[in-house]
Amino acid sequence: MRRISREPSVVITLVILVGLMLAFIIYPQVQVVLVPGLGGYVEFLAGQTWVKPFFNSLQVMLLSTTTAVILGFIYAYAMVYSKMPFKPFFRVIGVLPLLSPPFVVAASYILLFGPRGMISYYVFGQSPNILGLGGLWGVQTIAFFPFAYQLIADVLARSDARMEQAARNLGAGPWQVFRTITLPMARPGLLAAILTTAIYIVEDFGNPALIAGQFTVLPTQAYGLISGFGDVTGAAVVSTILLLLALALYIAKTRIEGQRSYVTISGRAGTIPRPPVPMIVNVFCFVACSFLAILILMVYGVLLISAIVEVFPVKWTLTFKHFEFLTSNITPLQNTLVYGTTAAIICALFAMLLGFLVQRREWRGKRIVDFIAIMPAAIPGIFFGIGYATAFNQRWLDWIDRGALITISMIFWNIPVGYQAALAGLQQIDRSLDDAATSLGAGSLRAFRDILFPLLDSALLTGFVTAFVRAVTTLSVVIFLFTPSTTVATIKIFQLVNDFMWGGATAFTVSVVGVAVLVLVIVWAISGRRVGLQRTG
Amino acid sequence: MNRMTRREFLKMLGAGAALTAAGLAGCAPTPEPTKAPTVVAPTAPAVPTVAKATGKLSVYSALNETTNNEFVKAFKAANPGVEVDLLPMAAAGELQTRIRTEKASPKADVFIGGSSEFHDALGKEGLLEAYKSPNANIVGSTFKDPNGFWTGWYIGIFGFVYNTDRFAKEMANVKKPTTWDDLLDPAWKGKLAYPDPVKTGGGFIFMATQVFRFNKDEEKAMEYMKKLHANIAQYTGTATQVIQLVAQGQFIGGLNWAHDILTTKAQGLPIDLIVPEMTGFEIGAVSIVKGGPNPIAARVFVDWVLTKQAGELNVKLSNRGSVRPDVEPAPGAPTLDKVKLVQYDRQWASDNKDRLLKKWQATVGM
Repeated sequence: MRRISREPSVVITLVILVGLMLAFIIYPQVQVVLVPGLGGYVEFLAGQTWVKPFFNSLQVMLLSTTTAVILGFIYAYAMVYSKMPFKPFFRVIGVLPLLSPPFVVAASYILLFGPRGMISYYVFGQSPNILGLGGLWGVQTIAFFPFAYQLIADVLARSDARMEQAARNLGAGPWQVFRTITLPMARPGLLAAILTTAIYIVEDFGNPALIAGQFTVLPTQAYGLISGFGDVTGAAVVSTILLLLALALYIAKTRIEGQRSYVTISGRAGTIPRPPVPMIVNVFCFVACSFLAILILMVYGVLLISAIVEVFPVKWTLTFKHFEFLTSNITPLQNTLVYGTTAAIICALFAMLLGFLVQRREWRGKRIVDFIAIMPAAIPGIFFGIGYATAFNQRWLDWIDRGALITISMIFWNIPVGYQAALAGLQQIDRSLDDAATSLGAGSLRAFRDILFPLLDSALLTGFVTAFVRAVTTLSVVIFLFTPSTTVATIKIFQLVNDFMWGGATAFTVSVVGVAVLVLVIVWAISGRRVGLQRTG
Repeated sequence: MNRMTRREFLKMLGAGAALTAAGLAGCAPTPEPTKAPTVVAPTAPAVPTVAKATGKLSVYSALNETTNNEFVKAFKAANPGVEVDLLPMAAAGELQTRIRTEKASPKADVFIGGSSEFHDALGKEGLLEAYKSPNANIVGSTFKDPNGFWTGWYIGIFGFVYNTDRFAKEMANVKKPTTWDDLLDPAWKGKLAYPDPVKTGGGFIFMATQVFRFNKDEEKAMEYMKKLHANIAQYTGTATQVIQLVAQGQFIGGLNWAHDILTTKAQGLPIDLIVPEMTGFEIGAVSIVKGGPNPIAARVFVDWVLTKQAGELNVKLSNRGSVRPDVEPAPGAPTLDKVKLVQYDRQWASDNKDRLLKKWQATVGM
């Protein structure tokens, strides 16, 4: 692998990237980790109130990651390999759960499947108490399979159809091709998906807050300590435990991953169609995706109906008064869009460049930087926010615009998303491509810009999409940063839910989701033209 | 810096002078109210500050949306020179945390709403400015901090919410609970929701209330909590969720704040409030953040919050009770003199919080 010391421009770029990460990821977090002091840690850990939430977190992480990755894989496989109809529809559906401010969506599940749920009780006559591990498992599966789907689909779409064609021509059956070619080729992406999904699930606060009941997990414990009792010390200890858990996950990942690489792109040639999958698989894919789609549509249906009736579920008179509320509060919606889009673009580019330097170049301290890039995924949003508020709310920094600070927090909180996508994408591009470019005299950065960057468009897109939806839906990161003029939509929704204004909250949610979907559809349309049919095969 | 023009230099001088003047004006009134607890004419202290309040006032508020909007409107009408920048947040603990994290460069002038415990902690950490408003003279001493770090201005009472539809249909032969012990009736098994005391302030206040109800006999209180646990279908992660779930009919009864129950009921949802005897309450407070950008306007705001007009507005909008004896309670709302209260020892409750929660967790096995 190439060393970078001979290329000053690369060294400078690297120093800038790492410097920014130190300033905006490490520095704020150190502020938080230091809060409790040694005595605080000892006292809190000895109290053992964290033990149960710790094991609860582990339990829900293992269960939900397994199901979310399986669903994500099926969905991705269906989108990339099968000939099922209505793919554009399924693509939008597959991203919807990512777009939902969790406070409202978990509430929608309870309305559907709770003890007096519209489906569970009024259709099936059952009274399941879904608040607890069971409900949380279900909600986290639905909420996070799209992350796995995004990452896996990107990898599958990049895998070389020629190898599968060749295998089929040599007499392998569809199942054998799947088992010996498709699956192994997707392995780096699968591992990245499992790791990312696991970390997101273990870090998530919104869903467990609403649907886990007394099944306390680490993030809800940390939040409860702050919101209920103003106990920042205890919350800091809990968050540090969470960080260590993520560190363990990360080490496990690097161990498992090993050194095997699956190079599949050796040029931009592959426009060969994928070998057809058996009809039965097409049917299975369609049925499975439809089932998921119906579930997701029901959840959003409840929100939509809540937004257009007087008082759900008791007064069903049609009204638009909840949307009128929206028109007088349009700024939060605009802020959400501006901050979210800006942050997602910068985040995806930043992560891509970083991914290139880590994956393709040799330098000291690489593994540490690799870990820093993945770390924000393990930091509970609320702590990311507190870290920022503590670190950057200083007299000499008061000139910094709050909107800019919020955008920066969104960029760096989402780095892992873009970074994972970038690595998964890069892993499948033959090194000889960029090596050829550098042999012919191009600098590292030029090879990145001219050769790799165009090949990474779908990874870039994945990075953008996930960073965007996470920025648009985050509550906890911004809750300690926003000012009246820089309020974002999730804050507004959270307040409305707390003020028992369910109608207004759903109207707001529906609008945020609608606008965000619009942005994504536009991005897909633009990139689709450039990427061509290759993406979905 | 070294290129400072003359004009800039003069500007700075001017700003410095103005600050000094403001500081003097701000400091002068403070020592005065201490000597006279009598309600006679709030003469010297309030008047000069009122005249000088201008500029932007930053308010961190834990009140609800409508109260926030109406408060800003009414305050501006009374003080046209002041522009209010209000930052709402539902959970007082978040505002408290935010004020803490901002202590290097405070952004808030006033912290309004939320239980006095949240204000008290900030006061002890030296993050609040002591201020005894002349308008606080009418407020009873149990409702304000002796050091003047915070002043109570409303009361929240803990109560019981139930779904009227389901109660009438499914529990026709069960009597409506009038004491907390009534909730131990096996008829309630699997039908109650309770905000998790580990995660919510309200849930903890309920538990502490039980301890006070048994005269700090913790064993008896825990025995009660254990029996109650057998009837609880769900502990929720947030306090508001209990009311939502009961209103949806997911559960029949729940424990929560009386004012929030009434506010939700007013939307036409099938729920009602009962205040069992020997209940607990919270004092909603207002305080001034130390080192905030506009300390003069902050005092004017606190003075205004303690007026009869603001008290009545809050009662009307949030169904809470005012600490002012001259403000009528909201229709149907419980008042401190009409409900039976426990001797709620706030200091003791917050000092023993961790210990009690652990004891409770061990008792119910969670």
